[in-house]
Amino acid sequence: MTGSSVDLADFLPAYLAEAEELLGAAHRHLLAVETSVRRGLAHPRAVRELFRALHTIKGLSAMVDVEPIVAIAHWMETSLRHADRAGGRLPEPSVEPLMEGLREIEQRVRQLAAGKQAAPVPAGLLERLEALESIVLGTAPAQKPAPAVLELDAAIAARLSAAEKEQLTTGAAAGRRAVRLDFVPSAERAAAGVTINSVRDRVAKLAETVKVLPLSGPAAGGGSLTFVLLLLTDATDAALLEAAGGEPASMRALTGAAPEPAQAVPAAPEPEPALLEEEPEEQRRGAGTLRVEVSRLDEALERLAALVVNRSRLTRAVAALTAAGAPTRELTAILQENGRQLRDMRAAIIRLRMVRVGDVLERLPLLVRGLRRSTGKAVRLELDVGDAELDKAVADRLLPALVHLVRNAVDHALESPDERRAAGKPEEGVVRLACHAGASGLLDISVADDGRGVDARAVAARAGGPVPQTPDALLEVLCRPGFSTRDAATATSGRGMGMDIVRRIIVDQLGGELALETRPGAGTTFRLRVPLTITLVDAFVFECAGLRYAVAVGSVDELIDVDPARLVRPAGASGVVLVERRGSAVPLLSLESLLELERRDGQEGRGTKALIVRQRGEPVAFAVDRLVCQQEIVLRPLEDPLVRVSGVAGATDLGDGQPTLVLDLAALGLARGGGRRPAEPGRGRERAT
Amino acid sequence: MPEVLVVDDSKVMRDMVVACLRPYPGLTFTHASSGLEAIERLSLQPYDLLVLDLNMPDIGGIEVVEFVRGQDRLKNLPIIIVTTRGDEASRARALAVGANRFMTKPFTPDAILSEARGLLEEKRG
Repeated sequence: MTGSSVDLADFLPAYLAEAEELLGAAHRHLLAVETSVRRGLAHPRAVRELFRALHTIKGLSAMVDVEPIVAIAHWMETSLRHADRAGGRLPEPSVEPLMEGLREIEQRVRQLAAGKQAAPVPAGLLERLEALESIVLGTAPAQKPAPAVLELDAAIAARLSAAEKEQLTTGAAAGRRAVRLDFVPSAERAAAGVTINSVRDRVAKLAETVKVLPLSGPAAGGGSLTFVLLLLTDATDAALLEAAGGEPASMRALTGAAPEPAQAVPAAPEPEPALLEEEPEEQRRGAGTLRVEVSRLDEALERLAALVVNRSRLTRAVAALTAAGAPTRELTAILQENGRQLRDMRAAIIRLRMVRVGDVLERLPLLVRGLRRSTGKAVRLELDVGDAELDKAVADRLLPALVHLVRNAVDHALESPDERRAAGKPEEGVVRLACHAGASGLLDISVADDGRGVDARAVAARAGGPVPQTPDALLEVLCRPGFSTRDAATATSGRGMGMDIVRRIIVDQLGGELALETRPGAGTTFRLRVPLTITLVDAFVFECAGLRYAVAVGSVDELIDVDPARLVRPAGASGVVLVERRGSAVPLLSLESLLELERRDGQEGRGTKALIVRQRGEPVAFAVDRLVCQQEIVLRPLEDPLVRVSGVAGATDLGDGQPTLVLDLAALGLARGGGRRPAEPGRGRERAT
Repeated sequence: MPEVLVVDDSKVMRDMVVACLRPYPGLTFTHASSGLEAIERLSLQPYDLLVLDLNMPDIGGIEVVEFVRGQDRLKNLPIIIVTTRGDEASRARALAVGANRFMTKPFTPDAILSEARGLLEEKRG
C-alpha cells in the first residue's frame, strides 16, 4: 500500500482566495440580515447563505489546519443554525458579535496571506459568540400568517420545510406569482449547455427560487428525471419557459388567485439597497470562472511586448528586402495580418484584467455601516454600478479615492439627524455612488450626497483667499494640499479633507478628470472620469540636469558606471565620445544635450551613470547624473498631438504630483540624429580603443 | 477507467479531494458544484464512485443519497460522504439513507484514499 504524497498545505493559496470570496459573501448576507433586523423582519435566505458561507470556511480551514478560524466559524455557525430554525429571525444584539467574528476571520486570512501564522482567537470572542446561542434560542418562533393556499402535489409538499412553504405563501400574498417550473435534463440538452445549473442561473434573473427538487419514477409521471423549480416571480410563463430551454419544460401556477403579471404590482416588498440584493451564489462564485494572479496576466502582457518588438524587427527586415528589390508582397501581407493579430491578442489579455466594479466596491456598505455607528448619523448608501467593468490596475488605485469621497460625504457633508429634521429633510441622509461606461474607454463615476453642500465663503475664509466664484475654482481650493485637515469635522466647509489625495489619484495618477457640483443645503456631487485601462511599466527613474525622468526597464540593456578618465574621443569624429563596456567601446550620448537642457548651476553634467539601449541593434549609452530608483509606474500616453514628441513614450506621476516624462531612449537618440553619427565610427570601435 | 464524481460547492475542496485520490491508478474525475448538478450527471452517465459533501445550496447531500438509492440503476454506487458536520446524528442519518462511508473534515489524504480504494475494489469484486 503506497502512502499518498499529497500535502494539503499546497492548497493554502487557493484556500485563501476562496476564503476571501466567502467572507465577501458573508459580509453581504450579514448586512442584508442587519437591514431586515432593523425593520423587524426575518431574512431566512440571507441567514441560510451566511450559515453556508461560514460552514464552508470552517470545513476548508479544518482541511488546511487553521484552528483559530475553525473555532470562530464554528460558534458563528452554531448560532446561525438556530436562527435558521427560527425562520431566519436573528435578534438585533447578535449582529455585532457576528460582525466581529467575520472581522477576526478576515484578519487571520490576511495574516496567512502575508505568510504569517494565524493569531489565536482573541479573548472573550468565543464566549460572546457562544452567548448568542441562547439569545437566538430565546427568539419567538415565526408567527404564521397563511393567507394563500398552495396547490402542490403531496409528493412535493412533503419535501418542503415549513419555512419554504411560508416563503411561497407570503410571497404570493404580496402579489407575486408562485409557480412550478419543470425542467427535464437530457444528454442532448447538456451537450447544448442547457443544464440544471445554467437553467437555475437564468431563472434566478427572473424569479426568486424557493426550492428545487429532483423527481424521478412515478412522481415524475413515470418519465425520466425531472427538476421541479418552485418560484416566486413577476415574469411571464413564456420568459421562464425560455430560460428553461423551452419544451419539454412546463409550467403551472401554485395558487389559483394570482393572475399573470399585472400592470401594477400591488404592495411589492420594499427593495433592498442595490448591493445587498441577492444574486444566486453560483453566479457570483462563478461557475466557469477562474482566479488568476494578476502577475501572471502581467507576465503574458510582457511576453506579448517581446513579440511586438520582434515584429518591428521583422518589419524592418522585410522593408530592407523590399528596398533590395525582392518579391515581398506575400510577406508584407502576412506581416500586416500578424500586426492585427497582435493587437487583438493584446486587447484579449487586457480584457482578462477587467473586474466588475460591483465586486470592487463590495466593502463600501461595510464602511458606511461603520461610519453610521461612529458618527451617529442616519445614512443610506445607494450603489448603482450595473455591470460596469474596470482594469484591475485602475480599480486598485481608484478604490481608495472612492472610499475617501464616501467617508467625507458621511463625516462632513451629511448633517446630524436633528439638523436635517430642522431643515425639513428626511432624517436619513443618502450617499449615492453611480457609474456607467462613458465615452470610449472611459468610466464615469459620481459620488453624490444630499447633505449641506459646500459653503464657498467658509472655504475661502479657511484658505485665506478670495471667495471662489466657480465650481472649478472651489474644487481647486479644496484640493490644495493640507487644506482643512485640522478642523474639517466642524460644520463650516462640509468637505475638503484629503481632497488633494483624491485629485492626485484621479487626475495625476490615472489621467482622469474630477469635477464638483454643489448646492448649499441640497448636497454635493463629485464627478469622476477615469480610463478603463492603464499601462503599468516597470521603470528606472533617474536624474539629469536636476530633472527626473523614467525609462522602461525592458528597454534598457544594462546600467553602467561611467569613469570620466576612461572616455575615448576618437580623432576625426568631432564630438563623439566612446565609453568602455566589457572590453568594447560604445558611443556615449549626453542626454542633457539631446534634451537641450540647461544646467542651473552652470556646471557640465558629470554623467556618472549610463543606460545602455539598443538602437537599430547597436548598443548606445546615454549619460545621466544619477539613478534614483526602480519602480512600477502608470504610463500615460501624451494625447495632445502637439505635445507628442518622438522619443517621449508618455508621462507619469511618481507620487510627488509632478508630471515626469517617460523616455523612449532609442527613439530619442534616432530622432535627434544622435544615433547616426556615432554609429559610423562605432563600426571601427575595436580599433579605436 | 473508474469514473469518480466529486460533489462540493467549494472548488478548493473538490480540488483537494481529487488530489487525495489521484495516487489511485487510472481514476478519472468529474466535478459537480451542487447537489442538483450531481443528480443531473448521475442520471445521464454511469459513475463508479460518488464523493459527496452534505451542506450545499438547494438540495443537500442527504437528498442526493436518497435520490441515488431510489434508482435501480444506481443502487450499488459506492458513496463517500465528506463533511464538516461530524456529529453523530448526521453520521447516523447519512448511513441510514444509504451512504457507504462517512468522513469528517479534516481528514488526511491517506484516509480518504484508503476508503476509496476499499470501495472500488469491493465493487469490482
